[in-house]
Order: sequence, then C-alpha cells, then structure tokens
Amino acid sequence: MLRSRILAGTAAAFAAALSASAAYADITILAWPGEPAESAFRKVLDLYNSTAGKENNSKASVIYFSQQGFKEKMLADVAAGSKEFDVMLTATYDVGLYAPFMTPIDDIVTPAVYDVISKNAIETQRYEGKVYGIPTDLSLHFLYYRKDLIEKLLTDDAWKAKYGEISEEILGTKMEPKKPDDWTWDDYIATALFFTKSLNSDSPTRYGTVLQMKNLLYNIMLWQGTAASYGGDWRDAAGNITIDSEAYRKGLAIYKTITDNEATPGDSNTYEYGEANSVFGAGQAAFMVQWNAAVPEFNDPKKYPEVVGKLGLTHEPAGTLGPKTHFHSLGLGINKNSEKQDEAKKFLAWLATAEPMKLYAKEGGSPPLAEKPMAEVAADRPEMLLMGEHAAKYGFVMNGGTSSKALAIYTNQAENFTGYWTGATELDPALKNVVDYMTKAFAK
Amino acid sequence: MSSVIAFEDRERRESRKLLVGLCIFLGVMLGFPVIVNLWYGFADASFENLTGSFIGLENYRDALSNPKMWQALGFSLRFALICTLFEVGIALVLVFILHPLLVTRPWLTAVLMLPMMVSPALMGVMYRLILNEFTGIVPVYLEMAGMAVNFLGRRSIYNTVVAIEVLQWTPFAFLILATARQTVAYEIEEAGAVDGATGWHAIFHIFLPLMRPAIVIVLFVRFIDSFRVFDHIYVLTGGGPGNLTTSISIYIYKLFFVQRTIGEAVAVSTLLLVMSLTLIVLAMRLVVRRN
Amino acid sequence: MIVRRQSPLNILADSLRWVVFAVVALVVNLPVLSTILTSFKTDADINAYPPKWIFTPTLDHYRTVLTSPSVDYLHYVMNSIVIAVLGTIFAIVLTLPAAYAIARYKVGAKWLLPIITNLRALPLIIFAIPFYFMFQTVGLLDTRLGLALISCIINIPIALVLFVGFVQDLPRDFDDAAKIDGASMGQILRHVVVPLSRPVMLAVFILSFIYSWNEFLFGLILTTKSAVPVTVGATFFVTSRGIEWGPTAAAMTIGVLPPLILGLFAYPYMGKSMLAGGVKG
Repeated sequence: MLRSRILAGTAAAFAAALSASAAYADITILAWPGEPAESAFRKVLDLYNSTAGKENNSKASVIYFSQQGFKEKMLADVAAGSKEFDVMLTATYDVGLYAPFMTPIDDIVTPAVYDVISKNAIETQRYEGKVYGIPTDLSLHFLYYRKDLIEKLLTDDAWKAKYGEISEEILGTKMEPKKPDDWTWDDYIATALFFTKSLNSDSPTRYGTVLQMKNLLYNIMLWQGTAASYGGDWRDAAGNITIDSEAYRKGLAIYKTITDNEATPGDSNTYEYGEANSVFGAGQAAFMVQWNAAVPEFNDPKKYPEVVGKLGLTHEPAGTLGPKTHFHSLGLGINKNSEKQDEAKKFLAWLATAEPMKLYAKEGGSPPLAEKPMAEVAADRPEMLLMGEHAAKYGFVMNGGTSSKALAIYTNQAENFTGYWTGATELDPALKNVVDYMTKAFAK
Repeated sequence: MSSVIAFEDRERRESRKLLVGLCIFLGVMLGFPVIVNLWYGFADASFENLTGSFIGLENYRDALSNPKMWQALGFSLRFALICTLFEVGIALVLVFILHPLLVTRPWLTAVLMLPMMVSPALMGVMYRLILNEFTGIVPVYLEMAGMAVNFLGRRSIYNTVVAIEVLQWTPFAFLILATARQTVAYEIEEAGAVDGATGWHAIFHIFLPLMRPAIVIVLFVRFIDSFRVFDHIYVLTGGGPGNLTTSISIYIYKLFFVQRTIGEAVAVSTLLLVMSLTLIVLAMRLVVRRN
Repeated sequence: MIVRRQSPLNILADSLRWVVFAVVALVVNLPVLSTILTSFKTDADINAYPPKWIFTPTLDHYRTVLTSPSVDYLHYVMNSIVIAVLGTIFAIVLTLPAAYAIARYKVGAKWLLPIITNLRALPLIIFAIPFYFMFQTVGLLDTRLGLALISCIINIPIALVLFVGFVQDLPRDFDDAAKIDGASMGQILRHVVVPLSRPVMLAVFILSFIYSWNEFLFGLILTTKSAVPVTVGATFFVTSRGIEWGPTAAAMTIGVLPPLILGLFAYPYMGKSMLAGGVKG
C-alpha cells in the first residue's frame, strides 16, 4: 500500500503546484519591454515598495511580454476582461483604442503634477477630454552617428574624393560630405553607401546604416519621419487619405535605395530595436535613425565598448520641410477590470511625483519632465534636453494617428511597406492596399 | 447458450461505461469550440461587444474575397508540399545508406532523433543564433570559404524557413521509414527469401513496394504538420517581410489578434476545418483501399 | 542473419556510411549543439572570430537567466513541468479504460477510434479562438490547469492508439482468470491491466510529456503571466533584452534539456508508436 501513499503525496504536491500560480504580488503592472527603461523602472518600483508602498501596505511588481505581439495580447486580454494586471501600458497612438477598457485618472492629475511632468505630454494621454495615463516615457527619434568616422570623412581628402565617386556612380550626382546636423535624406543615403564595405573597400564599418524592417508597426513609426519631412500625412483636412503621394513615395524610396544597395545588413527584414542596437553597438554600422531610448545603452562601456565616447546625436535628416520626427508618449494607466482600483490609483499618484520621476530619468528612462526637474537631471542625461527641444521643433503626429484605428493602420502599413522594401510586393499595389485599408478603417 | 450471449451483452454494456469519461471530455472540449465557431462565423462580434448579432454570410464573404487568405493558403500548401517531399526523399536515401550501421547499433538512431525533441519555437530562436550575420556560426564559416549567404535576408528567407522545417523533421521521416525497412527485412527472412535482399534490384522491387503503406503514412502526417506550421516562422519572421512567410495559421492569428476581426478569423478557421476534414476523409479512403 | 564477408569493398562502404552518419548527425543537431556551447561561453568568446570550439566554460549566463528580475524563468520551468505532467496524467486516466473497452469489446472501435486518431490532423489554430473565449468565461485563462487540459487534448490520440495496441496484444487468459474469481471490470482494470501496462504507460508518459513541453501556440495565446510555459518565456527573453546571445542561449538550453533527455530514453518506442499514428502535438 506504499503505492497509494505515494499517489496521495503526489496529488497533494499537485494541488500545491496548481495553487502556486496565484498572483505573487499585490498590484501587477504591465509595462513596455526593452532596455534601459526596464531596469530603470524596476529601481523605481523598489523605491515604491520600500517607501510609499510600505505605508499603503501595497507591493507593486511588473511583468513584460515580448515586444512582438505585445499590444495584440494586451488588448485581447483587457477586452476579454482579464484581471491579470492592474496597471497597464498606454500610448499616444492607441489611447483611443484602450479608453473603453480603462479608468480615467483626471482626479489624480493635480496642479502639482504639472510641476513634475510637462503639460504637453499629459495632453498626449488624453482622449475625448479625459486623461487615461501618467506619461512615463517620451519616444522620438535621433540620428545616432559615430563622431570619429564622420569627423574623418569631413577632413580626409581621399575619403572625400571617394565619397564623390560613389555618390556619382550610384546616385548620379557628385556630392560632398556634410555635418550630420545639416544632412538631407540624400546626404543620409550617400553617406550610407560610402560606409558600406561592398561598395567601398576602405570603409571601416561593414554597413553604412542599419534599418529596422521587421514586419512590425513600430518600425513604421521609426520610418515615417522621412515621409513627414516632405509633407506626407495620413489624411488631408477634409479627411481624404493622402498616402499615395510624392512625399510617401520619396520616403519609401529612401529605404528601398539603401536596401537595394545593401547598405544595411541583409537580414534587416528580421530586425527590430534590439538587433539594430547590436549592429551599431558592435561597430558594424556608421549611423542609424533610432528611438531615443537607446542613448544610455551606448554610454555604457560594459555593453558597447566600440561606441562609448564616440556617439554623436542629432535630429533626423531633413526633407523639403526640414527635419521631422514622429513622437509619442508611453504611459501607465488603470485596467478597468482590475479589482484594485484604489491601490492602482495610489501608485500612479505617487509615480507622478518628483522623486520617482527623477530617479527614473537618472537610471535610463525617458520621462517627459517639466522644466524644473528636467534642469535637475540634465547633468546625468544631457540628451533629455535635446528630446524636449526636438519634440517642440520637429515633432509631428499623423492626422488620425491617435484614433482608435491607428494601431491597426500602422500594422497594415508595416505589412505592405516591409513587403515593398524587401521586394515581396511592388510599390503601387502596396500603396493601394494601404489606401484601401485606411479608407475602410476610417469609414467604420 | 443464450445465457452466454446475455453475459457477453452485459459485459459490452458495462464496458461502454469505460468510454464515458473520454466522450464527455471530448464532447465539452471540442463540441464547445465548434459551437462558438459556428456562432461567431455568422455574427459581427468585436472585442468591445463580445456577443455580437447575426449578420448572415458576411464574414464568409469577407474571408473568401480577401486575397491575403488565398496567399496564406497558397504559402501553406506550397510549404507543406516542398517540405514533405524533401523530408521523405532525404529520409529514404538515408534509410538505405545507414541501415547496416543501425541494425547492430540502435543508439545511433537516438542521435539522429534529437531534433524532434526540440520545441519548434525554440528551434526557430536557435537558428536565429546560428544564422545571425555577425555572430552566427554558419555565415562565419561560409564567409571563410568565400561564400556570403544571407540566410535571413529577403531573398533567402523562404528557403530558410523551409530548410529549418526539413532539418527538424527529416529525422521523424527517417525513424518511421527505418522501422518499416526493418519490419520488411524481417518479413522477407520469415518467408525464407534469403539473401535476395541486397542491391538496387531489391530496393526497387522488394523494399519500396512493401514499404509503401509506411511511406504514405509519413507523407500524410508530415504534410498535415507542415501545412499548419506556426511556431518557428512566428518566432523568426512574424510572417514577414510583407506577408511572404505568412502561413494559414499565422494568418488566422493575425486576423484575430492584430486586425481584431473576430468574425473573419473564425470564418477562415471554419473553412479550414471543413477543408481539413474533407482531406482526411479522402486520405483515409485512399489508404484503406490501398491496404 | 546474413553474414557478410569483410572484403575491402565492404570496409570502404561501411566507412562511407559512417561519414554520412556523422555529417547528418552534425547538421541536424547543429543548432542545439551550438546553443549549448554558446551558453557556456563568455561574451568575448561568443564574439570571437573564428568561432571557438575549445574554451573555458562559465556559468555566468545561467546565473543571469535564473536571477533575472524581469523574467521569472524558474517559474516558467515550473509551469511547463506542471502543465506537461498534469496533461499527461489526464490523458492516461481518460484513455486507458476507453482503450480497454475498444480493444476487448469493440465498443466504439468503428467511430470513436478513427475520430480521435484524426484529431491531430486538424490545424490547432482553429480551436485557439474559441478556447480563448471559453477559458475567459470559466476563468481558465492564464492558468496551469487550462493549459494542462489543452495538453490532454493534444495527447489523447497518441495515448489511445498506444493503449489500444497494448490491450490487443494482452492475452485474454488474464482477464478470464480474474473473471472466474468474480472480479468486476473495474477490478480487472485496476489489478490486471494497469500493472501489466507499465512499459506502455512509460512510453505514453514520455512521448506526451515531450509534446506538452514543446507546445507553443496555446501557450502564446492563453497565458499572460502566471502560467507562461518555457517555450513562450524563452522568446520573451530574446526580445525584451535586445540581443544578448549568452543569456538567451542559456535560457534555451534549460528549455530544451528536459525533452532532449527524455527523448534519449524514448527513442525505442518512438518508431513503433508513430507508425501507429499521431506524432508531434
């Protein structure tokens, strides 16, 4: 009868194992994955759990999914009434989509909050008059470049001559190297070609730049500064879809030219944020347009010794309207189905105070701080001043880019445009697909 | 006499009880999804309104008129066909080459079996590691040999996802066909046909014909599995670039989770279910009649 | 047994066979091999050119994975173990009695058996959406029990086929002897069939454990945090950290080792059971 005792023991063990899957924290936060913000946010939570959280008798923990499929999963979960997380991610481009599943938090956006977080950023979390999220990160794009290489290109006569040669051969006009601050998209292309080993055997890097062309909506946000800088937009004032325009064709052609001339790694069609950082960080590319979040990574000597101390930052290259950058804020709001509304609200109210926000900035997050706290952290994060300035000067939001359809539209564009860049579809059908889809989406 | 029959009848009746658990479980776990699929196929449900109301055949119209569905279906069919033929072809060749080694050393089979134990999703990530242009072991050695192949690049990605499937599942085909080859050899020995069983002649006139049922089973099973491929492609490419590597499973996933068109996703699922059932019935008839 | 003379030609043929075997074994196992090696290399060794095959191993990446604050990897491993074991036990409990009835009394042999063996031919994605709603309604989303039920469905075909084959090969004398002693059908199952079925039960257990462990699609769709299995958790690891190959390789090594080791035990059963129908979940 030993066997029956073993069986009983096993059954008990299973019962324990099954119940062990219960939540192991008081409030659960679903946040956006990706370094360095991830580690920074964790430090903020440690601060909460050891101070205010302790007083409120609450403990906060965070969960992440992978970036691929993140939004899809989260939206399906909240729509189906999931209580797995209490605090969830919000974003400018889909606050309209989340709103039905979230609790508005206007009551905790007091005047004191505006002293900590910039008013504009809070506006980007507003939908139909109500605020749904405390913005934690401002996201826009910089041109990251290797100062040492560009410096040499601007001074070395042999390199300059070669630059003229390559641009004439491939682009048809003889060009001169320029400072990245003064680049147009044509300079961007020419410089990418120059720093590509297969076109220029003297290039110190294997590729000129690195593009992110995985079939993923964020990659479209990263790209669309090209189209916007030539005046491209989703819709005109009357609401007609304006995707099939010169501006969009020009923007798409920029990526196409770089891909066709192999000035970006051949498997860029599987790249997103992390892969691009690996390539640039390993010294395999001379420059890239990338989300601002990566800056602290490249100042970390342990992580990317190739780049530390050689990183230059500027705005995206210019089109006919000058430089542009897509921007949005990510934030945290409350899941309507959560059974811990008060606790979640307390946490968010605490998060919107100076101490956690400044800590988050110091540790590598990119919070949209108001003037005073910004000045206090500027020494640690010089690029944050740049972010504020760029958002004000060059930032744009596509017409319709905050509607409840935006997410699905970006996804559709990703499918069609990555298809065009990689030669899976032709330009005209790709544009037509997007226009048709958007027409249908906005009509519903 | 009649009491014996009655006894047997009672036993049969009693034995039916043994099926109850299984039938109830399957009835609930499979019956419910079918009902859900039927309703959602004819309803305009959305994530904001999960019940929806009846809209007739509109979802099916949307599903059938969407060219992307046909592309995804085409991808899955082509992918399944190519993979299956390669797997079975390579496996057959290997069976006849390696057979003499395996007869006395069965553990060699274990070495070849390992890829089958690996989750296809993780296999996809592993290939990402070894095919990576900068640190991947395969491109590095090829470059040393003076060949630059970009496995994950847009030109080769299709071939790469096919190759990954083939490399992972050829061992499966090999295992079954090796088992079948063994059985056939044993039967020949039983029949006393000694020593006629070597050389090309024997392969083509004795082994292959006798192995046919096993070959058909492998073809069928592998075709079905490759047709519904999801894991390694999702991990590697997300169905891109464009929708170049979108299989029908990935397509349904995207319709539901990404485009959030519940009705259309369910309609495609239902069509796929009907198609699969038809295919199975046909295949069964074929196999049954053959054997 | 045919005794073959060892002529030079035969020796040559045999060595060629060995070469073919070695090449095939290397090619199909390259990803796993390379991943395991990478997981023990220092970052410098991972990026070394040419790739190193001999190096001083380090356990750093395993430390990183198991102590990572953002990814609770041990919890995922535990999830996978519970899901696979439970799913397997459910499948055995449901199919063994049914197999006895089907094989001994031909009850349902005509309809139930074919339906179940063909289950695995259906594309699973068809059921994914209804299960999502169904689990949401009854509170099984993101629970180990929910995924175990899915595992059970996936494993029922293979378990049933193997058990039916086993009962068919079991001599009737055993049952008859027990019947004469007045044993009921339940007692026969418990005291005759179950003890004798240990070898086949082990085979079923190993095979279905492997399939459950490797399941990805439902793990992706039906879990959020509590019940995330290793297959899905390992992919979180890749994308949320950028590309750190060392920790990623360590995470994957942990994720593939259990089925790999079981597979080494299972290979004798696999050929036979797969011929009988039903393979990968």
